[in-house]
Formats: sequence, C-alpha cells, structure tokens
Amino acid sequence: MIKQALLEAIGNLLAARQRSALALIGIMVGAGAVIAMLTVGAIAREQTARQFRAMGTDILLLRADSDTGLGQLPLAETEALVGQVPGLASIAPFMLSGGPVSAEGQARSTTFLAATETLAAVARVRVAEGRFLSRHDRFEPFAVIGPQLAENLSTPYSRIRTGSSIRVGRYVFTVIGVLEPSLPSPMMPADLNDVLIVSIPNGRRIMSQASLAWAVARSTPEADPEAVGRAVAASLQPLMREQRLSVQSARALLAGLASQMRLFTLLLGAVGAIALVLGGVGVMNIMLVSVQERRREIGVRLAIGATRWNIQSLFLTEAAVLSFIGGAFGILLGVAGAWGFAQFSGWPFVLSMSAIPLGAGVSIATGLFFGFYPAVIASRLDPIVALRTE
Amino acid sequence: MLELTEITKSFRTGPAETVVLRDLSLRLEAGELCSIMGGSGSGKSTLMNIIGLLDRPSSGSYRIAGEDVLAAPPDKQSALRNRLIGFVFQSFFLLPRLNAWRNAALPLMYRGTPEAEARRRACAMLERVGLADRMEHMPAQLSGGQKQRVAIARALVGQPKVLLADEPTGALDPKVAQEIMDLFLEVNREFGVLALIITHDPDIAAQCPRQLRLGGGRIAEDIRRA
Repeated sequence: MIKQALLEAIGNLLAARQRSALALIGIMVGAGAVIAMLTVGAIAREQTARQFRAMGTDILLLRADSDTGLGQLPLAETEALVGQVPGLASIAPFMLSGGPVSAEGQARSTTFLAATETLAAVARVRVAEGRFLSRHDRFEPFAVIGPQLAENLSTPYSRIRTGSSIRVGRYVFTVIGVLEPSLPSPMMPADLNDVLIVSIPNGRRIMSQASLAWAVARSTPEADPEAVGRAVAASLQPLMREQRLSVQSARALLAGLASQMRLFTLLLGAVGAIALVLGGVGVMNIMLVSVQERRREIGVRLAIGATRWNIQSLFLTEAAVLSFIGGAFGILLGVAGAWGFAQFSGWPFVLSMSAIPLGAGVSIATGLFFGFYPAVIASRLDPIVALRTE
Repeated sequence: MLELTEITKSFRTGPAETVVLRDLSLRLEAGELCSIMGGSGSGKSTLMNIIGLLDRPSSGSYRIAGEDVLAAPPDKQSALRNRLIGFVFQSFFLLPRLNAWRNAALPLMYRGTPEAEARRRACAMLERVGLADRMEHMPAQLSGGQKQRVAIARALVGQPKVLLADEPTGALDPKVAQEIMDLFLEVNREFGVLALIITHDPDIAAQCPRQLRLGGGRIAEDIRRA
C-alpha cells in the first residue's frame, strides 16, 4: 500500500509536471533560505569566535574618561600594578589619536597609537619585518606601522619597509618594524593593520590631544578576568579623582556578543521561515488546483471503498513527496548560497551540522502542514457530487 | 437479499421540498439480473445512490443480506461499499495513471489485501472478462469496450453482493454494447451476483429477466420474464 501510494503520488506529480515544478521551486527556495540563513549565522559566529581566539579571552581594556573628554591614566602607577594586583599578568597603557602621514609624496590619514614596548606582548602584536619598539629607544624617532598603512603609502617605485621615512607634521620617523596582518580585534579601539605606533614621549609630540586614556591588560590564566578588572579599577580610582574608569573584559563582551548572535541567527532564521511559508502557500495552492481537477477520481475512489483517510493520505503523500524533493534541492541551494556568502565576505566557510536536518525537517513539516488543508477538502467531497463532475 | 422498505427521499431546495422517492419498497433476490428504466427526473439516480450507499434516504429501511446497512455510521459506509457493492459507470471512470491490473485491484488495495494477492486476483478477474493480454496496459491504450471490461473486473474483484451498473453501455456503439451486456449475463450466472442495470436502452432492458420502471417516485412497473 505504501509503495503503491508513493508510485501514485509520483505518477500524479509527473502528470502535472509544470505545476509540480512550481511547487517544488517554492519549497526549494524556502528550505534553501532557511539553511543558507542558519549557515550564514554559523559562519558569522565562527568568525567572531576566531577573533576572540586570536586575542584570548583573558584580555581587558581600560578606558579613563573625565568630564571634558578622555581621561589620563598615571603611567608609572599603572605599570606598577603588575605585582600589586593579584592575577594581573601585564598591562600596557597607550594613547590614541589620528591624523595625516606622508611618505615619498603619498599622503594618508591613519591612526596614531603611542605605547610602551609592553604593548606587543599584551595585545599579541606580531612583527612581520624589523622589530617592535624597545625601552631603550623611547626618545628615538622610531615608528612601527601596520601592514595596511605600509601598503597604502607604498608606490610602485618605492615600497615602505623597515628603514623608510614617514613624515608626521614637523617630525620624521624611521620605520623600524612592520606588523603582521591581523584580524581586527573587538577589544582594541584601533585597527592594528592601519596604524602608526610610536613611543609615548613621541606620541605627546605628534598628538594634538595627548591623553594616556587607554590600557590593555591580561590576567593570569587561573585568575577571573572580570575580578582582576575590578581590582585594577579599584587600585587606580583613588589616584584619578574626578575621572571615571571603565573596564571591559573580553569574556563579558563575548557573552554580550553571544546573545546578539543568537538574536541575529533567529532573525536570519525568521527570514528563511518567511520564504518557506511562501513556498508552503505555493504547495497549498497547487494541491487545491489538483483536488479540483481530480474530483471525479476522488468520487470513484470513494465509491469503490476508499475511506476519508485514504483520500487524505493520497494528497498528503503528494505534498510530502513534493516537499521532500524540494527540501533535498533546498539543502544544495542553501549550502551553495552560504558558501557564496563566505567567498564574498572572505570569512571561512563552516557547515552548521544542525542547519541541514533542521532545514530539511522544517521544509517537510511545512509541506505537510500546507498540504493538509487541500487533503481535508478532498476527503470531505461528497462522492455523488464528485462523480457527477465533468 | 436486497430489501428496500418504504424508502422516501426528499430534497429541500429553498422553501420548497421536492420528493424524489415516495415510500418505495423493493425486494431483489441473490443472483437476479434486473434492469431499471425511467425518464429523467424519475428518481433513477437517487435510487442508485441509495442502493450504492452513496446517499441515505430521508426515511425507510435498507438491508443487504439481512444486514441493516443504514445503521452503520457514515464513516463506516465506505467499508460497506467496498465489501458489498461493485460499481460500473457509463464513462468507465478508470484511474488514468494506473494500468489495467492496478485499476482492477483497487478495491482490494483499499481493503488492505497484500499487493501480490491483490494482483493475482485482479489478473484472474481480467482474464475472466477477456483481457488476459491487456494486464499492463494503461487506460488510454484501451478501447471503450476494453475499458468497460476493466471496470467490470474492478467491480467484481472484491466479490460483492450487488453489481450496480449505471448506463454501462451508454457510451459504447451497439455491437460493443451487446458484448458488454453478454458479459453481464455471463458473470451474473457464473458468480450469482445480484446485478442491477440502469439503462435508457429498451434492447438492453429487454434482455434482463426482471425489468423495473420508475415513475412518480415509486416502482411503476415490475415485469418478470417467464
């Protein structure tokens, strides 16, 4: 009986090829949208996770604010916190500003970051060529630049590299290192790909508003980063009078992002679900036409002993076959769409293992749900009326 | 065998009530072959629908082989139809996407007979009606007479008590019509099934041992050939 039901369903769908194809496309696009959206969500989640993995979850970002703008961290006292605050592994205060730089007649706007040599270790900055700043050359006109800035200032005739000169206002800096390309970090207020890093004394010269307002810190592996953050703030606050000190921990940010990501994935899923509902309405439409066209057949089946349930399952089987095949194609479409998105965004493609069974299950459920009403209509036909249909 | 007692059927159309069958009583025995004639509006179709368990009378009682078939709730009617009645229609009503044996086996499939068994019995019945070499043919590949033979095989495959034929020769040319009529005479004798043939054609009616004529919502004439 099941075999015959399937054969009949496929035969009937093939007999109305054009209509079946339309319903199939509806379900396929719907299922594809659900799967693509969920996979895109997974890709975005993975990308965020990668950023945090590169940066570590034990990182803290401090920022001082005064009533008039950015605040001022006491440099020596801040650096002295390592050893005083239990669980604090390292800390690197820095200043942040921006402005134009030029080299060989090329002018660009970039971010200025003035820091001590500890920044490299705390922010996990890696140098591709040359070296980072050291504590012996605080007063030397040395700069370390991001790879993007190096490329922006290069011309086909002269590449900016270690030893090149860069002019900032009245000052000329010698490039002593170029950083490795890195993922933009949600915990760093500056993109380290496009940055000019100088020592703090040099920073005071080139920055119009030289505020040592920022610091990155790392907690020791066994310490709770948020507790360390609170302890750091408690130690510094008495020295900073009117200023406010805010501490952001990667872990808290990650938790916030995770809930945002959930919302994002839900939203994308909802977009897919709307597409799927439209596909389902297509199935319903086509099944209703099919019921109308096959009234006499339904009458004959009822006359020779089909029960209402037999008639219902006849049409439900067709809806199930449609949505099963549509769902299968939808999986291919959705995965291909998500792959295209990954290629376009440059983010690594990850296949969410839950997306495929979820998308397929939801598409079959939709097909059955929307096939149910036409099937009930068919099964409630009066055999006398149905047989009289021309 | 088949016993209709004081059957009344009326339809309400707007304020007026139309009485189609009025206190109709009829008794038919197993193995009878009986024609039913009557002008349009005489209640032929309504009577056939009631006998075929497709419709219920407004009042009266109906028994097949002693079983009160009106007592069954509507959702059991299909099982009763499947077991007791075999239908043959004027325009055959084969399912176009099933081949001959699958069409003939359909009542058995709805009864839950395993496919191999249903196929064996359908093929045996198709052989009996003279279609041994047409088992796998689709309805579109069959002539009108062959289609009606498949329909007769389908009606008989479940060994019903009543074979109910509505203008079974109406769509066929006279020569083929006579062949189909001969087949009815044969299977009626061979299977002992009570066969009721509704027809407009006096030649067809005249070949039946018993001839009924409907008029005014009752049996107007009941002729038994000696």
